[in-house]
Amino acid sequence: MLRTVILMRELVRMYIRTKVEYPGAMVLGWVSQFVSYGAVYTAIALIIARFGMLGGWTWSDMAMLLSVHLLTYSVGASFSFTQFREMEDLVRQGTMDAILVKPIGTWLYMVFSGFNIGYAGHVVLAVGLMAWAITQVDVAWSLPTVLFLVATLVSGAMVVCALMTMIGATALVWVRSRHLYSIFFGFWELARYPITIFPLPIQVLLLAVVPMGFISTVPVAVLLGKPVPLLGDFAGLACLLAGPVMAGLAMLHWRWCLRNYQGAGG
Amino acid sequence: MKARAYAAFTVNALQTRLTYRHTIWAGAFGDLVFIFARIAIWVSVYGAAGAASAANGVTLPEMITYSLLAGPLLYWDYSRLLADVGTAIRSGDVAVYLLKPLHYPAYLAASHLGHFLFELAASTVPVAVIILLVFGLQPPASLFHGLAFLAYWPLSFMILFTLATLLGLAAFWLMTVQSLDWFFNAIMTLLSGGMVPLWFFPGWLAAIAGHLPFAWISYYPAAVYLGKLEPGQTLLYFGIGLVWLAVLLASLAWLWSRARDRLIVQGG
Repeated sequence: MLRTVILMRELVRMYIRTKVEYPGAMVLGWVSQFVSYGAVYTAIALIIARFGMLGGWTWSDMAMLLSVHLLTYSVGASFSFTQFREMEDLVRQGTMDAILVKPIGTWLYMVFSGFNIGYAGHVVLAVGLMAWAITQVDVAWSLPTVLFLVATLVSGAMVVCALMTMIGATALVWVRSRHLYSIFFGFWELARYPITIFPLPIQVLLLAVVPMGFISTVPVAVLLGKPVPLLGDFAGLACLLAGPVMAGLAMLHWRWCLRNYQGAGG
Repeated sequence: MKARAYAAFTVNALQTRLTYRHTIWAGAFGDLVFIFARIAIWVSVYGAAGAASAANGVTLPEMITYSLLAGPLLYWDYSRLLADVGTAIRSGDVAVYLLKPLHYPAYLAASHLGHFLFELAASTVPVAVIILLVFGLQPPASLFHGLAFLAYWPLSFMILFTLATLLGLAAFWLMTVQSLDWFFNAIMTLLSGGMVPLWFFPGWLAAIAGHLPFAWISYYPAAVYLGKLEPGQTLLYFGIGLVWLAVLLASLAWLWSRARDRLIVQGG
């Protein structure tokens, strides 16, 4: 166990060193992503400035939602996205075989050898926006609400990481799986808005099929005391359970894919 | 080089994409979900009290049509183009293109027209049909506006293509295009009108954005289609758009002549 922890630390350190080799590119990357998200949020703010509210949510409510969305996504994705996006190349080129025989868990190796510090710009923007939104929204902050926020952030990040892992693992069986990320990002886009603005079939998809609702829109609705369709009073508990449940499913899927891995032929 | 040869690049790109056609459905589904989100936003804000006065005479069916035109149709995915140029420069493949009797930017235009046509047929048209069946779409405001849209469309394509290629060529100096992609994405999100049409902007911002070339990518073509510009204005802004395109093409030609001279292949 201790050996694994030390290994993980070394893997992360190695990856960070490769990135710090090009400090200009790294910082430019952070700034550019910060600006890009800022532009989307400005566009949403322009709509709300014009029409007053979005689905009954004011701009400060939306700022809370957007910051939670960005934070859970960037934390979850730093453990998973770029790593598992490359998975189909690893399978196709046979590099995966070399990773499989390493004396460390395959998932751990993949996650920590590519732990992506490129999300720093996301995190700075998300934390800054959240700090402002927390003072603006109509919530009586207390220890339980703060604990709930922190727990749902962890749970949401787990949902992101679990879904990314499942898509990546699929490449072990299908060889190709990168195209599935466009489905992920479709739902990811939906999770940016209050769930009540969508028609029922999309709400069902967001809560039950690709449970991205739990990374942002459901926990923030619970915090702000807004109604959550389909789940009602169960919504708060569901937010806390979503992460662990998805992690369990992802683990099962990962193992099944590893068992059925045959290489890309040749 | 002959136009026929460039047409072959277009067909070639189209065929390459057809080979991987089993991955199409995921992209089309992603696009569909994306456009549903946009439409849901407009349905929601139009449903609220006082929306009619805030909307400035623009109706909800018009906004649904606008979302489709300004989004997937006009604002095509230029990141593939940027990535192609970036990879060619980083890997040194661009040297191969320089050896061939062709003009690299023209080759890029031809091959990305192929990608655009593929995505139009495989993703945009099916998405448009679904939106038509679920929400309904508006016809052009008049025959004149419909024809004007057909003229604005290629103008929009060429402006976006030229801007993306200009950015791509910046990789000759910066060696990376990823950050530029994000910056460009930020500018496009706000100033092209792809997400929020300029008529919902505060006046001063609309005045600035309305005269930058980005607005010709999504906003003007879609606004013309919906008849939001008078015939006189339609022609005037088409002329301004052509001037912008000429300026951008001239910048591209200049940058390309500079870039050829300073090609450094990494590690080469």
